[in-house]
Amino acid sequence: MPSATPRLFQNGRIASADSKDLLASDVLVDETGTIVAIGPGLTAPADAELIDCGGGVLVPGMFDVHVHAREPGQEHKETLATCSAAALRGGVTGVVLMPDTSPPVDTGNLVKSARDLIAELSAIPMLQAGCLTKGREGKEMAGFSGMASRGVPMLTDADRAVPCPDLLRRCMEYARDFDLLVTSHCDTPALSKAGAINEGRVSYRFGLPGIPAISQEIAIDRDIRVAQHTGAKLHLQQISTARGLQSVQCAKEAGTSVTCEVSPHHLVLTEQDIRDYNTHFKFHPPLRPAADVEALVAGFIDGSIDVLACDHAPHTEFEKSSEFGSAPFGAAGLETTVPVMFDRFIRKGVFGWDLLIKRYSASPRRLVGLAPVAIAEGARAEFFLFDPEGETPVTRETMKTKSPVSPFLGETLVGKVRGTVLGAAWYPQG
Amino acid sequence: MRDLKPRKDLLDIEGLELPEIEYVLSNAVPFKQLFQRSVKKVPTLRGKTVLNLFYEPSTRTSSSFEVAANRMSADVTNFTVSSSSVVKGESLLDTIETLQAMRSDYIVIRHQAAGVPNIVAKHTGASVINAGDGYHAHPTQALLDAMTFREVCPDYQGRKMVIVGDVLHSRVARSTSTLFHKLGIEVGVLGPGTLIPSGRHEFIRRFRSWDEVFDWKPDAVYLLRVQLERQEGMFFPSIAEYHKMYGMNTERLVRMRQIGAYLMHPGPVNRGVEITDEAMRYERSLISTQVENGIAVRMAVLHWLKPETDTD
Repeated sequence: MPSATPRLFQNGRIASADSKDLLASDVLVDETGTIVAIGPGLTAPADAELIDCGGGVLVPGMFDVHVHAREPGQEHKETLATCSAAALRGGVTGVVLMPDTSPPVDTGNLVKSARDLIAELSAIPMLQAGCLTKGREGKEMAGFSGMASRGVPMLTDADRAVPCPDLLRRCMEYARDFDLLVTSHCDTPALSKAGAINEGRVSYRFGLPGIPAISQEIAIDRDIRVAQHTGAKLHLQQISTARGLQSVQCAKEAGTSVTCEVSPHHLVLTEQDIRDYNTHFKFHPPLRPAADVEALVAGFIDGSIDVLACDHAPHTEFEKSSEFGSAPFGAAGLETTVPVMFDRFIRKGVFGWDLLIKRYSASPRRLVGLAPVAIAEGARAEFFLFDPEGETPVTRETMKTKSPVSPFLGETLVGKVRGTVLGAAWYPQG
Repeated sequence: MRDLKPRKDLLDIEGLELPEIEYVLSNAVPFKQLFQRSVKKVPTLRGKTVLNLFYEPSTRTSSSFEVAANRMSADVTNFTVSSSSVVKGESLLDTIETLQAMRSDYIVIRHQAAGVPNIVAKHTGASVINAGDGYHAHPTQALLDAMTFREVCPDYQGRKMVIVGDVLHSRVARSTSTLFHKLGIEVGVLGPGTLIPSGRHEFIRRFRSWDEVFDWKPDAVYLLRVQLERQEGMFFPSIAEYHKMYGMNTERLVRMRQIGAYLMHPGPVNRGVEITDEAMRYERSLISTQVENGIAVRMAVLHWLKPETDTD
């Protein structure tokens, strides 16, 4: 539980976005939550709590730009409290909330009320995104100026594309004057239809309606063209195919103001991992073939993918227990993302903590106009302690989210977040 | 024969081992011979209960299972749920719980959504037999097709069959082609490009015209039912054009006779669409044999599966 005492983190190794190497050091955080000293062999003030890191890694807090917290309106799936608890267990110290609550956040007043709820119920900072169109219905522009004045970090119809290119164009033209980031869920509904998984060999074998790759690729191309035409800033969510990524790369080379994100599940799972109609693997965009996954990992490393974002999308186990075709898309991700990235990549030497910090801490903060956080003297404490020898069991009992739905359920991931520091508060993770 | 691993459910063809397939197909033969006797019943499943759970209307398959179960002396309950009466609030798991309370030994299930039999099987001790789920699988249809084909071609390995029509949306095509491939029978497909899942099953030969098909000299031609309600004008321009391009008509019947090919169809047929009235009377049509073999194969499947409700 958070309490205002100084804390000395001993025998840690500090990770940063700037260096592959970890810096062996102690870190002293005072009772106001400021990092006051960094270095080996620090002496603790008399009233300080000592935390032995045991050689564990101290990592700047992660920031996730794609989170559905479900409150207000769908508290049976998740609440702001359970969502922030899940984030802290995953080393995530800030998020952007999607506006697809009930009611959808499409006016300044609703942003205000969302911010009040966050202040009251969440343990971590959460930025509330606003809708592009009223009620996310894709028919009329939402109230941009009111939402801008309440500080929305981005506008998006969250899990829905704006079907009409003319309306999308006007939204971008209008958003440009407020310097608002337009965020797209890349999908062509007329192509994805009632699809449940990637269209191809696997969908044929399962006898499930498929979502063709072109339904995302055409949307990416369209949205980039409209952004180029209007000069709006564009962020593309959940890139899932090699060709889609190619389009983003071309646009960047042409100087377009476009960024994109990928999810951990699209980096580590393929359509082949879907077994026995397990709906925990049902995502939109769907899991793709191995060749796409390889291209995404390459793009994640070379920087053509800017941001890692988990698309935390809780649904109850009951909702996910219906047949594959009608089960909802998405799974919880906040508390598994860092352990999954460590287990699958960092531990195996594919890349280091520096890259993960760039993609999941620094870049996402910059994307929404925040300064990146670092473990440095004089900075506000915002980091977590990661034990590379520890284990993260992904089970119903251990998960903090209200909806223990995850493609990693039943796995024990190598590495564990032992606790998260946010200012003067220390949240140890059992 | 009896060193097969006991199997609880029949959900699809993919998961079956060749000895299991042989076991079922060879057991179906004596069951079929029973049909010639005045007493067609065996006491094998006396005291056992079979629940026929149909979420999609299907008189043929449901009756076939009912007759099969009756001839095995099981008690049969038919439960037809018209999709409109499925209350939105009652989930699949709720339904399964209700079914559990009925303590059936076998559940025969047809559902419009792929994967439903898999979910039911996971939650019940009863043997689940998939009687067709969405576009996914229809394993007993595949087994009866194999039985029918092997009766007319006892040296079936290396023989050839062509499936004609909407392969993309057909659970029959999926299961039957998978089973025939396992048995070493070559499979080809003919149909409009919109309804053939191209490049997804390399072992299947794709034809673009009847001329190509007849040049290949298949031993059987398997016509699929055109799902008239499914087309929405998106997959081919009109029924008339489909009939002209892919239907079994008089001229094609002449070619069928020349190469001595058999004609199969899973039923019910759309006369005038995939098949003409004349073709229905084709002397090498196996359509009614398929229906008869369906009962024998389903008896063999009931005989083979081992429900976890068995305590003796």
